[in-house]
Amino acid sequence: MGLRRPVTWLALAVLALLVVLVALPLQALVSVTLRPDGIGSWADVLASPLSPNLLWQPLGNSLVVGLGTGLIASILGAFLAWVVVMSDMPGRRIIGMLATIPFALPSFAIALAWESIFRNERLGGNPGLLASFGIAVPDILSWGVVPVTLTLVAHYYSLSFVVVAAALANVGGDLLAAAQLTGASRLRVASRIVLPVVAPAILSGFLLAFAEGISNFAVPALLGLPVRFQTLSTRLYGSIATGDTERGYVLSIILVVIAALVLFTGNRLTKGRSFATISGKSSPPRRVDTGGWKWLLLALSATLVTATTIVPGIVLAVSTLLRRTNSFDAGLTLHYWLGGSDPSIAQGMRGVLRDPIVIDAIGSTISLGLSVGLGATIVGLLAAYVVGRMKRSRVIGGSISLLSYVPFLIPGIAFGAAFIAQFGAPIGPFPALYGTFTILVIAGIAASLPFAFQTSRSALGQISPDLEEAAVISGAGTARRLGRIVLPLASRGILGGGILVFVTMVRDLSLVVLLVTPATPLLSVMTYRYASEGFTQSANAITLMIAVVSVAATLIARRLQGATQPWSTK
Amino acid sequence: MTTITLNQLGKTFGDQVALHNIDLEFPSGSFVVLLGPSGCGKTTTLRMLAGLEEPSRGTIRFGDRIVANGDTGASVPAEKRGLGMVFQSYALWPHMSVRTNIEWPLRVAGWSAAERTSRLDEVLRMLDIVALADRYPAEISGGQQQRVAIARTIASRPQVLLFDEPLSNLDARLRVETRAELAQVHRATGGTSVYVTHDQVEALALATHIAVMRDGRVEQFGPPEELLDHPATAFVASFLGTPPNVLLAGEVQDGALVRNGVRLSEASDSGRMLHAMYRPQDVGLSSDGILDFDVVECTPLAGRYVVSGFTGGDRVSVVTDSFVAAGTATRLVLPHTPEAVFGADGARTHR
Repeated sequence: MGLRRPVTWLALAVLALLVVLVALPLQALVSVTLRPDGIGSWADVLASPLSPNLLWQPLGNSLVVGLGTGLIASILGAFLAWVVVMSDMPGRRIIGMLATIPFALPSFAIALAWESIFRNERLGGNPGLLASFGIAVPDILSWGVVPVTLTLVAHYYSLSFVVVAAALANVGGDLLAAAQLTGASRLRVASRIVLPVVAPAILSGFLLAFAEGISNFAVPALLGLPVRFQTLSTRLYGSIATGDTERGYVLSIILVVIAALVLFTGNRLTKGRSFATISGKSSPPRRVDTGGWKWLLLALSATLVTATTIVPGIVLAVSTLLRRTNSFDAGLTLHYWLGGSDPSIAQGMRGVLRDPIVIDAIGSTISLGLSVGLGATIVGLLAAYVVGRMKRSRVIGGSISLLSYVPFLIPGIAFGAAFIAQFGAPIGPFPALYGTFTILVIAGIAASLPFAFQTSRSALGQISPDLEEAAVISGAGTARRLGRIVLPLASRGILGGGILVFVTMVRDLSLVVLLVTPATPLLSVMTYRYASEGFTQSANAITLMIAVVSVAATLIARRLQGATQPWSTK
Repeated sequence: MTTITLNQLGKTFGDQVALHNIDLEFPSGSFVVLLGPSGCGKTTTLRMLAGLEEPSRGTIRFGDRIVANGDTGASVPAEKRGLGMVFQSYALWPHMSVRTNIEWPLRVAGWSAAERTSRLDEVLRMLDIVALADRYPAEISGGQQQRVAIARTIASRPQVLLFDEPLSNLDARLRVETRAELAQVHRATGGTSVYVTHDQVEALALATHIAVMRDGRVEQFGPPEELLDHPATAFVASFLGTPPNVLLAGEVQDGALVRNGVRLSEASDSGRMLHAMYRPQDVGLSSDGILDFDVVECTPLAGRYVVSGFTGGDRVSVVTDSFVAAGTATRLVLPHTPEAVFGADGARTHR
């Protein structure tokens, strides 16, 4: 490794940056709990009269929610993928398109829509639409494990669908035709050929949904917390928010370990087992003739995708227009969007578009998204470039890859806790960053790194080395090659990746919820606060804005990355 | 005019030896084909000539100039070697039009606008792609992309042209057409060309010199006729020719080469394993022959027939005047003495 090479210096700089962004916060999270005044919290959490309440019950709830989410989301996603890719069901294209949208929505959007429909009168306040029509909604549908799990399923089946559909589309018609020509029955072809080929995809979809189900914050906070249904995430949020910091950190560490174990085993199990890279042109699969069943399949899948996209959208939109929360009795109004302060409505809250705090939050949310999108893209691109260029130096390249991957294993809310632990107090000449915009940007960049790094790696990796070598032979130097060949060819992919980082930041709640203060309002946090305080219309209106931005930007990004739906080709 | 000299050139990847130290000299203006099965080291050699890989040992000289020295690590950068390369994938820059693809390297090399324009016109006309100038690589066919790649390569008038299996992505008919064009391009530039392929027909059609390579070593280097008439090793004898030579293994017993109990020819040193080589056109088929032969296929070729089949587990092909149906069991009629004999190590023993 030549210290004279400029790329070595660049690599060391990237490595140092990653240490600050990723390694230091995690180290701080652990070391705070090991200090003399913190070490006792391990005993409090793990073995004390408090532990059932602090740890074991929330852990049990987290696991139940995670398992339920993983199982149901995988089944629904795989079913839908099969129907869209392999069957002759009419309307496959539009169903396939709609099925990708829920994942682009913020998870609290579907939770709020659920609440607007199913909330019952148990806690007082304003019940949901069903209750206002006089339909009694049982507790089990209003609060706790069922709505939390189903809401997360509505979000994550979409991910499972995308992963499995891509794998199925890669199976290729030739592979199936070859199996069918042996005389094997349809069932046998499905179980011996199709299932093994897509099994890794189903498994990885399951594990992603499982890990997210365990660690999601927004949904249990909205649909569980009001009835003291605690998960690890809401528990650690509660501890830190009420000043019980060390216990909160201990819970964060436990959550990190569990989520990391799940995701890491997932990566291990599915590594090298992907059969999806079948090269060459393959003919599209011959569609299975489902006869009269196709109408049943259509009814089922149409219900599923509309219930998770269009219905929540309409519910949220309509609910913001109701003068009285979740009830048509008092008629419609635009007050919650455009109205001025009126003491008779919602304690004098202004419509969201005329509320200076909301306007402020729109500004800071957008600038947070842009800063993080730009920052993470630059860091990810540099990291991907040096890793590609430093193949010989395993230590530096390996460390950069590892540190760029680690945040993927860490639930947002625990990562937020780690950033408070590291940057909450002044370090040497640097002031404490808690409550500043800077800490949000830094945490956002760190959390988005795995995605930005992967995007850049694949965008750079898609450029055949021949193209750069042909330029080398022409005499173009490094800068000229980067500027004229590499970046123009990779730009769409990298830009698309940057937009997706922007989207995840705009709709993120779990990472930022511990880091924001009233001085730095963000839309997602305002939604959460308004929803908790019962300002349903305002919460839903803000959510709707976030959802529209998210979906639009996601569609643009997919366009840019050229991700045509492989399963919808003729 | 550029003579290319490889002196003790070797390349290792980790502990994998890709190229054992080889010595070769390509005369100025020659069209050299590096021929061999995949993994023989031919592409590694070409990439070292191009400056895309550094040798681990030995030197490469272009004329009097050492362009790479694996022993000292010194190396002339690719762009300073005065060469052009046509890639297997063509490596056309997809975001640039045909015109820009050809012109950009000239711009990098610092040509003036007037020079660039006139040279561009010249190569576009030379390769008959004037009409494609404003199209993008994705909008033209594979054969047209290949012509653009060639135009781009020769535009800067390199003294050395390198080709990395440039025809393997084309269909059979186009391959033959483009082959003729490559030969023309080579003659027109007057430079030295080095061409990598695993297709011996391509090699025989194009080369002034062929280097047959195998397992990182050069088996034989010379003009095509020499390799055909006088193969230095059993591998060369079995790799070249349509159909290739008939090679039959046997053991020396009592002053004769014996295969499956049948006496093939005189030989000395009992116990030795030898390969006897016969020309396919010299071997006949008749039930009076000496070795059993089961016909597998019979292909017409230029008014005669290439008959392939198995004799004692070895597949051989012979040329006959009349059709022989597949499935026929017959016998091989061999000339009195073999054309050549190779030892157990594959090297020619006499003649």
